[in-house]
Order: sequence, then C-alpha cells, then structure tokens
Amino acid sequence: MRAIRGFLLRARGLVHKGRKERELVEELESHLRMQIDENLGRGMTPEQARRAAILKSGGLEPAKEACRDRGGLPVLEAVWRDVRHTARLFRRSPAFTAVAGLLLALSIGANTAVFTLLDQVMLRRLPVKDPRQLVMIWTTGPNLGGNLGSRASSYPMYQDFQKRGEAFSYVFCRYSTPLSVSVGNEAERVTGELVSGNYFQALGVAPAIGRLFSPESDDRVYKGHPVVVLSHQYWVTRFGADPGVVGKKILVNSYPMVIVGVSAAGFSGIDPARSPQIRVPILMKPLMTPGSDQLRNRRNQWVQIFARLKPGYAVGSAQASLQPLFSQVLQAEVTDPDLRTVPKSVRDQFLARRVLMEQAANGYSDLRRSYSTALPALMSMVGLVLLIACFNVASLLIARAAARRRELAVRLALGASRGQLVRQLLIESAVLSAMGGAAGVFLAVAMIRGLLGFLPAKGMILALSAAPDWRVLALTVALTFLTTLLFGLAPAWRTARVDHWSALKGAESAVAGGGGAARLRKSLVTAQVALSFLLLAGAGLFVRTLANLKQTNPGFRDIDNLITFQVDPARSGYSLDRLKAFCKQLQENIRSLPGVKSVGFAWIPVLSGREADWDVAVEGYPLKEGDERQVFVNRLSPDYFRTMGVALLEGRDFNDRDEGARLPVAIVNRSFVERIFGKENPIGRHLGFNSDPTAKPDIEIVGVVENALNEGVREGVRRQVFLPFAQTEFPYGSAFYVRTSAASESMFAALRRKVAELGPTMPVYEMRTLANQLDETLGTERLTATLSAVFGALATLLAAVGLYGVMALVVARRTREIGLRMALGARRGAVLWMVLKEALGVLAVGLSVGIPAAYWLSRYVSSQLFGVAPTDIRTAAAASVILASAAAAAALLPARRACAIDPTQALRHE
Amino acid sequence: MTEKTDVRQGTLALMVLKTLETMGPLHGYGIARRIEQTSGDLLAVRYGTLYPALMKLEQEGYVSAKWGVSDNHRRAKYYALTSAGKKQLAKEAREWDRTTAIIARFFPQSEEAS
Repeated sequence: MRAIRGFLLRARGLVHKGRKERELVEELESHLRMQIDENLGRGMTPEQARRAAILKSGGLEPAKEACRDRGGLPVLEAVWRDVRHTARLFRRSPAFTAVAGLLLALSIGANTAVFTLLDQVMLRRLPVKDPRQLVMIWTTGPNLGGNLGSRASSYPMYQDFQKRGEAFSYVFCRYSTPLSVSVGNEAERVTGELVSGNYFQALGVAPAIGRLFSPESDDRVYKGHPVVVLSHQYWVTRFGADPGVVGKKILVNSYPMVIVGVSAAGFSGIDPARSPQIRVPILMKPLMTPGSDQLRNRRNQWVQIFARLKPGYAVGSAQASLQPLFSQVLQAEVTDPDLRTVPKSVRDQFLARRVLMEQAANGYSDLRRSYSTALPALMSMVGLVLLIACFNVASLLIARAAARRRELAVRLALGASRGQLVRQLLIESAVLSAMGGAAGVFLAVAMIRGLLGFLPAKGMILALSAAPDWRVLALTVALTFLTTLLFGLAPAWRTARVDHWSALKGAESAVAGGGGAARLRKSLVTAQVALSFLLLAGAGLFVRTLANLKQTNPGFRDIDNLITFQVDPARSGYSLDRLKAFCKQLQENIRSLPGVKSVGFAWIPVLSGREADWDVAVEGYPLKEGDERQVFVNRLSPDYFRTMGVALLEGRDFNDRDEGARLPVAIVNRSFVERIFGKENPIGRHLGFNSDPTAKPDIEIVGVVENALNEGVREGVRRQVFLPFAQTEFPYGSAFYVRTSAASESMFAALRRKVAELGPTMPVYEMRTLANQLDETLGTERLTATLSAVFGALATLLAAVGLYGVMALVVARRTREIGLRMALGARRGAVLWMVLKEALGVLAVGLSVGIPAAYWLSRYVSSQLFGVAPTDIRTAAAASVILASAAAAAALLPARRACAIDPTQALRHE
Repeated sequence: MTEKTDVRQGTLALMVLKTLETMGPLHGYGIARRIEQTSGDLLAVRYGTLYPALMKLEQEGYVSAKWGVSDNHRRAKYYALTSAGKKQLAKEAREWDRTTAIIARFFPQSEEAS
C-alpha cells in the first residue's frame, strides 16, 4: 500500500512538475532565510549571516537536485522521454508511421466491428436476474401436427412442463406475433409478444411504471385478461414517456384493452435482435391471432418454452429429469383418437421423441441461428487479417531495427544499458499500436454502421446498436497490447543481442540487416502467405455460394416488376366474410389501376421464412412406413400464379366459383406430383388434411404448377399444396402480389391509396418489390461474401507488401554476389530467375501449409455453403493463382533492380 | 573545532519522526535546528539531506505537510506526524532498541578495555 501511495504521489509529482519545483524552491528559501534571521540575531552583518547560512545548509542547487530525484519517478521520466523520442522518430519517418498505423487501425477497427456484432447477436447476456439460470426447452419431432416457427411446442405441453417440471423454479412461454394497435384513430402495426403470466417474474424484470403481469391476475381466465404491458422503448417513442398511460384504453386488433404498466428500461426481451413493443397475456391468443386458438390443441406447436433452473440443477441434469415427464405425456397423447390409426413405425418415432435443453443466458434469436456460423467464421477471418497485419508491422519494425543498428550501437557504446534499448523499442511499438487502436475505434463505428446495413431490417424492430460498448473497447485495447507484444518483442529481442562493435564498424551485413533478420522476416512472410491462402479460399467459397444462391431460379419471373405488400383485416376486427370480401374487392380495385397487369394474393407470403406444414393424406396412396407426409400449404386467390409468373403445367387455376366448402379444390406443385404420383395424371385425384384418417380425402386436385420457392433459396422447393383463399374457414392475413408494367417504386403510393379507399384505417406493411425481398433473404450470405472478399483482398495485399519488403532486402544483401555472378557472365534472365525463385520458394512453402489447413478448416463452414463443395478444387486453384500473381508482382520489382546492378559498382560496394 | 557528522538517511527519518512527536507540527528549519540541538551539535543537518527525507516521509504518508506562517512571520511549510507516522515511529523505535541491545552484546568489555 505504502509503495503504491508513494508511487502515485511521485507520479503526480511528474505531472505537476512545475508547481512542485516552485514549492520546493520556496521552501528551501524560507529555510535559508530563517537561518539568516538567526545569524542576524547573533549579531552578524547581513553579508556574514548569508554566507554562514549557505555554508551551513549546503548549496541550493545540490539540494534541489537531491529533492528532484526523490520527488519524481526517474523510471517514469525516462519512459516519458522515450515516448517523446519515439514521437520525434515517427515524425521523421512519416511513411513508415502512416503505413504501420493504417494497417493496425484497419485491422483493429474491423475486428472491433465484427466483434461488436458478434457480441450483440451471440454473446451478450440478457439484462435480467441471474441470466445463467435460464434455459430454453424444445423437443425433437415428429409431432404429427403443425409447426409454427422454430423450436416450438404446443401450449398444453408447456402447461405440463410448468406444472410438473421438478428442476425449475419457473417455466414460462412466449409467442411473437404482429399486432395492430389503435390509439385514438391511428392504427399501427407493432411487434407483439404473447407471454405466460409468470414471464416477468421468471425473468426478474421490474416495472418502470404501473405493474407487470403476474400468474395470479393475468393467467387464469381464457380470453379474460384484456391487459397490455408496453416495452420501455415503445412507451418513450410512441407515448413520449407519459406516466399517464397506465390505465389508458387502447385497441389491440380492434379489441379494447388496458395498458397496465411499462417494463423496465433496457429490457427488450428474449430475442436480442427483435424486441416486441407490447406484451399481452397468452390466454388472449384467440383475440390476438384471430381465427387461431390453439390453446388446447396438442398437435399444433407454436410457443417457445423457457425456464429458470432451480439451484443445484444444471442443463444436463434438468434435461434428464424432464425426459420421463415428456415421455409420459407422449404416451398419453398417443391414445388420442386422432393418432390411433398412425402406423406403428411413425408411432414409435413419436414415442421416441426427446426433450432438448440449452442454456439461454443470452436469450434466443433466429437471427443468431442464421448467423451462428457466419459470424464466428468472419471473426476468425478478421482475426487472421489482424495477425497478417501484425506480421507486416513486425517485419517493418525488424527492418527499421536493422537499419538502426548503428544508432543503437552508438547508444550502447555511450553507456545505455540493453534494458534501456529494449524499453525504447517496446515503447515505439506501444505508441504505434496505441495510435492504431485509437484510430481503429473511429473506424469501427463506421464499419459497424456498414455491417448493420447487411441485416434484414425491414418489418422488424432491430435492437442492435451501432455503438461499440465498453467490453468491445476493452477487447480492442487488449488486441492493441497483444499486437504490441507480438511485434514489439521480436525486434527488441534481436536488437538486445547486437554486437555493437561490428555494428559500429559498419560491416555490410549490419547495414543491410543481418542474415537472422532476413530469415525471421522470410518466415513471417511465409506465414502471411499461408494465412492469405486460407482467407482467399474462404472468400472464394462464400462468394461462389452467394453467386449460386442468386442464380438459383426462384420459379418466379421478372421479380423486379413484382410488388408485394401485406394487409391483415382480421387484426382490424374484420369478420371472416368481410375479410374475404375485402381482399376480393381490393384485388379488383388494384387490377383497374393503370400500369397493373395482374394481381393475386396469398395467405403466407413467399420468402418470408414463414411456413405452414400439414400432414397430407392422398386417395389411393396409403401411408407407407417411413413416409414423409408433410407438405407446405398456402391459400391463394385466382390469378396468383399468373401474377407470380409460375407456369400452370396441367389443369386449371382457381376461379371465382371455388368458393364456400361445397366443392373443395387444390392445386399441387410438380415436386408433389413427382413424389406421390410419379408419371400418373394427378388431375381429378383427391387429397385431405383430415386429422381423422378414416375420413375419405375430399379435396379434388384441379391443377399442377411448376416448382417455385416458398421459404428461401437455401431451403429449396418443397412439396406444396395450394388451396383457394376463398375456401378458408379462418380469417387469415394476406400478402398481395401486383405485377406492373412500369417501374415498380412509382406504383407504391397508388397501391397505398387503393387500400386506404377501401379500408381507411387498414395498416399496409412490408411494401417492396419481390426482387428486394429475395435480396433480403440473402443478407447473411451477402455479408459473409462481401466481408470475406474484402478480408481476402486485404490479406493478399498485405502478404504482397511483406514479400516485396523481404525480396528488396534479399537483393540488397546479395548485391555483391549478384555483381560477381554477372561479372562472371551470368545473364540477366538467370539473375531475374534467381530472385523470383526465392520469392516462389516462399510462396510454395506458404501454400504447402495453407492448403492442408484450408482443407481441414473448410468443414466448419460447409453448412454455410450452397452449390459448392467445401473442398472445391477450382476455388483452391483460383486462390493459388491470385496469390502466385501477387507474389510474382511483389518480387518483380526487386528482381529487376537486381538485373540492373552494375557489376563494377557492386564489387566495389563494401 | 569539533567535526560535525552528516546524518544517515535511515536514522534521519527516525529522528525527524521523533522530533515531530515531541515538538508537534514544525517547519523544516525548526526540525533541523532541533535535531542539531538534541545531538548536542554533533550533527549537522544540511537541507540537501533533510528535504529529500521529508519528501519521502510525506510520500509514505508518515507526515503531512501544510503551508503556514512562522513565529517571525515567514511563510513556511509545516510538517506534522500522521497516525501512520506515530505507529511507524513506535515500530522503528522498538527495532532501534533491539538493534542497539544486540550490538551492545557484541561489545561488553569495550568499556573496561578503554
């Protein structure tokens, strides 16, 4: 403690040097004057008194000197001197400083940027009580029913877990759904979350104002809790943080509800990438998702289940304790009349389902799942770029150290200790990396903004922020120091071993850099080549993946002139009949717009990631063992296929007569026909979705269409069954598709007007062209491809610069040898080849390390690829060719310099 | 003329602390004079030795310093013993006693011999 205190005071002395010094002088002078006073008192003359005082106390200057040593910190002062010396040195070689600083700033900035994203999407813990106790619970298939969203369970299953799960202090559930909120006369669409009554208690989240839900008051009565909790952000942005909102009545999906409170600031929910604006008790589900109840249906999985572990339980033990309960519930479910006729093999599969559990300290996000391979891959790549940049700066510093051997030798000869020289060199590195780090932070902010631009932002609230937080800053600082250490130590260590006599004598090797320095730099460049190959090969794979995905035929034609938008009349309180009439009328009204070629609409928008998969039964094709029965279902209007540009292969499209339930009809896609019917004609056959398998399939197939994408490019084409929108018994939302002849964007306003004419308060959302939508589904791929290409190019450039430096050094060192060879008759071509050969040697060694490493690493990205094998030969060859050309270009300049050596000059060169 | 000895750093610190304990807050000149007097003018305290010692004590937190005005109206820096300084003084005094006791055991006959 004392030592630290003393150190701090001395360090302060260093900072307040001027003031301290003045105080000291004043104190010493007051001492002297008191002595003089006393001497005068003894009867001396003023002159004598002064002389005697000075004699007695000693000189003023030596005393000041003694105190100065004590007052400041000699080591710190020396370091400060070194720092200023370093600044002078850097000012004198601005090119070196700029290049080294820029390299570091770029790579540190890029690292910070990628890490900021990685941190927010994947690492950050939820701002709730004891986040490490949280787990997510889901189960393996088959559920023999419908699934909505990822990792979903049925609501009754949630209730079983909640009531009977032993390992948990809380089990809670959630379901995300868009909601229409009207305050006064203004309707707007928000992201809503239906939550179990214990949601906030389980998470340990407090209200900002009002109250939050509780199991006692908000989780008891079916459809009986018309209450809403606002998110803090929505409260601030929509209601201006008005404390009077508590008790206020609003309409949610045209149903009157009361705002009871606002959740705590900073709490955005379970999904870090999408935060809901309002939360509603889950027992309100029938009113929040009109037409779909599901609270008692065990065959439909839609809620995500989370739980808080009791102390003493870990994920593994909790999962093991839940499995018997789950199996028991399945045993009971399988006796359900609906499942009685399921074949034994399917039944066994059903009974063998497993409970899965995962720690959810940082919540759960679909975005995270799609980025969980991409972001770590990018992080590794950008980390490699940093490593390569460090090698470059190290190489530059070694070159400088070699060039400065004489300077250092002089300082050694004048009595500087080796420790002091090493300190000086380390400080140079520290200053350099501090500069790089500081500039890197600024670059990072700009880069994060760019990165966020890659994420699909439309139609959801993105809770990701562009500000690098303190943890990321800390990481940057750590990176900076690691960098310093990496490239500061090597030259410092080498210099400390300088034999200063030979350096002073100016032996040739000392002037141009010792053989050891060249070897070290050569191995650095070899490593750079190897790493660059990794990055280039990776970039090649990702770029080809993106290209393959883009070239995949979506099945829709001319998607630039295809506009889509969505309306949700049910959430504005429309009944089923009114909704059908509304959609049909809107279709007619839009068709009459000038510039519109055709219009259609669908229940589930394509390429949105949404899906409805139902189990199908086909007449005359009894279910075989192990048969995959699930098909993707959509409900469509007449003219949908024509609008989308999907060809009708056989039969007919839906028409206005396909209404009501009298004669149910269906259209299937080619993939379905090939799978079920093979070469037989499917027209006139029947299929059904009855949960009662004894009922005869009664839906007649009237048409076959060409394959088209449903979910996304990567998911490919599924077996699809299309039903008429007009025959639905449930009030669904609908996605409109409008084919136009004019430039699409100009039509947006006209389309909005048409909707407003028909339903003045009807919110219109997600209006864009299908081309844009297709593009957005490729956000991850575009991010990966673009960044990896940039990183690969950067790495290659860095390796080329490194190689150039080394080859220049080699040529300089071998000037005499080359001169001698030329004097003895070596031709220019031979000299050129000699130098190139050395560069190609470095390349070959680098590749011989890089290629196997890339081969080995490629397995980690294989899930990210599309249409290209991770060990693709052409990609590897292209990467090698790029590197080889870069290496040749880098070596050519020094090689030509070698050719231009004048033998007579070179031989005199000593 | 008697030869005056310069004090050593380690012992000087002890003397300063002891002086401040007996005299209360005192300026540098006062401390020097008091030490010289107590030593029977056998010691000479130069300010080249005194002030670095005072600075060290201040840095270690054993004394505190404050500007004030002396009896004859001169501005001077006054040093005072802190509670940590008191403890340190007690500790060092004990150690000093022990050291002198031990040293004394090595020279039991020296008085008889002289």
